[in-house]
Amino acid sequence: MTDGWNIVVCVKQVPDAAEVSIDPDTGILNRADAEAVMNAPDYNAVEAALEVRDEVGGTVTALTMGPASAHEVLRGAVAMGADDAVLLTDRAFGGSDTWPTSLALARAAEELDADVVFGGEETTDSSTGQVPPGIAAHNDWAQLTYVEDLEPRPDEDQLVAKRDVEGGYERVAADLPVVVAMEFGENQPRTAGLHRKIYAETDFEPVEWSAADIDVEDEVGLAVSPTQVGGMATAEPVPREQEKVDDVEEIADQIAEVL
Amino acid sequence: MAAGANADTAAEVDAHSDVWVFVEQHDGEVAKVAWELLAKGRELADQKDEDLVALVMGEDIRETDIPQQAIARGADRVLVADDPIFEPYRADPYGEQFRHLVEQRKPDIALIGGTHTGRDFAGRVAVPTHAGLTADTTELEITDERYEMRRPAFGGDALATIICPNHRPQMSTVRPGVFDTPEPDESREGEVEDVETVVGEDETLTEVLEREVGDVADITDAEVVVAGGMGLEGDFDPLWELADLLGGEVAATREAVEEGWIEPARQVGQTGKTVRPKLYIAVGISGAIQHVEGMDDSETVIAINNDGNAPIFENADYGIVADYAEVLPELIELLRERLDDTPEVSA
Ligand SMILES: Cc1cc2nc3c(=O)[nH]c(=O)nc-3n(C[C@H](O)[C@H](O)[C@H](O)COP(=O)(O)OP(=O)(O)OC[C@H]3O[C@@H](n4cnc5c(N)ncnc54)[C@H](O)[C@@H]3O)c2cc1C
Repeated sequence: MTDGWNIVVCVKQVPDAAEVSIDPDTGILNRADAEAVMNAPDYNAVEAALEVRDEVGGTVTALTMGPASAHEVLRGAVAMGADDAVLLTDRAFGGSDTWPTSLALARAAEELDADVVFGGEETTDSSTGQVPPGIAAHNDWAQLTYVEDLEPRPDEDQLVAKRDVEGGYERVAADLPVVVAMEFGENQPRTAGLHRKIYAETDFEPVEWSAADIDVEDEVGLAVSPTQVGGMATAEPVPREQEKVDDVEEIADQIAEVL
Repeated sequence: MAAGANADTAAEVDAHSDVWVFVEQHDGEVAKVAWELLAKGRELADQKDEDLVALVMGEDIRETDIPQQAIARGADRVLVADDPIFEPYRADPYGEQFRHLVEQRKPDIALIGGTHTGRDFAGRVAVPTHAGLTADTTELEITDERYEMRRPAFGGDALATIICPNHRPQMSTVRPGVFDTPEPDESREGEVEDVETVVGEDETLTEVLEREVGDVADITDAEVVVAGGMGLEGDFDPLWELADLLGGEVAATREAVEEGWIEPARQVGQTGKTVRPKLYIAVGISGAIQHVEGMDDSETVIAINNDGNAPIFENADYGIVADYAEVLPELIELLRERLDDTPEVSA
């Protein structure tokens, strides 16, 4: 074969991690204050998807689940070079934990006839890292996580990855279709060119699918999410002296004291 | 909260019992987090008055002392899935085998180390069994019969309590270094059981072409940790010297690891290890929330950074605003004198 691969890259809109604040009185997180941005590790996923497309041919479709405002991250991916984008948007998705979220993305990836699905290592807001393996598990596809480098083998319908493992690395060959979670920071995401940016902002409209479109109406949302948030507490900052000293002698004193 | 359409019925929930711990091993080498989880799992099983079951997968496991070790460290029973298909590790056969055992034997709680391996395959168990899976848990507790898994959220600014009322098992990946490993008790007795392998090589989706692993450093036990970041520009030598002098270990931020200045096993933080030393010296580290999360249990923190506004100073007891290249040689010199003066003081 090779008329290229259908590549899907999952991206997520998250509150800018640097701007999320906690109300000191209520202890409730103020997500609204923070600007919505693309999850930082997803830039590495988009870059990897584009590199694979450049090598084997085919198309890259950006995919996200979220409210209408999540258009923005899809436009970001299209500006970087993605060919198309799909937004899964529906009230029914509300309150989904990683189980239904990865189900919806898995169904959409199937619908898009994906050969490879990319995702970032984890999100900066929930940081579970569970969604890419979840997509693979729902579809019973191969998975490659903590990926540093990729070597497509279109003639064998395989994708070979160098993965980071504790204490070293391994190279694993996976049969298509495969879900890849790129390790954060493993490549240099390209910057969007001006023309592409203008196109993404003005001329491009992502496709929208509802839960019914991918046939998951009864399998998503809070009610089918196995995990629930039972409470949220402000993490008490560890009290520290926060004392700045002027000379090295004092640092040495402190170290000697502790030991 | 109403039970969802896909929730287990109350009777199905009740049919689940026992606490399971996955004992991760590669080439006969057990990941230390497994022993940490057996210690914690023992507590939970005692509270529930149920059994603690260890699950080991690999090849020729019976020829190692791993099953015996698992018993010495708290397991009542050890399930051994012994087959060449489990070595080296791959997500699909591990997930499928574990899934089968979960469906057959119905554990109530299942704990898996939050390593790359554990985080890789846990979903392949939780998805098909429709179990609740909590990532990167740092606290596990049973209060008033309710099992609560706690994990840092929003980069550690908040602590979320996750519950799993209607689905079993209640699964967590747990970050290495957060629980203690008590001494094994060699006199403990338990049962070792071989289980049937349910996956065949012709069904696997992946093949490991090459695996390169060296000796993995363990920073989670160190009393003194000297950690470096991007501010060092690759110059880790003075850190090693200082760590040697203080009898400690060298660690690093993720960025420093990514630059290839030091091995990944020494990364501290949200996606690295949690350390709990008496003394943590942060050199050329800005203090990003993802880093602080892994070092915040340190007793005393000292920061060296040339930017007085770096957030690390808010997370430090003592700090000096200065260039590391000037501070470290002087500090090493001063400490060497002091440690020479009082030889009974040692790390
Ligand atoms: C999903 C995700 C997971 C992450 N997980 C982790 C994790 O587990 N661990 C982790 O550490 N990070 C993690 N990060 C990255 C984290 O956000 C920061 O980028 C990282 O910790 C910064 O590393 P740093 O402090 O070495 O570098 P920088 O932020 O670049 O800081 C370097 C510091 O060195 C100082 N400096 C420069 N020159 C000198 C000098 N001559 N002398 C003294 N000081 C000097 C500077 O003032 C600066 O404060 C994660 C990020 C994401 C998105």
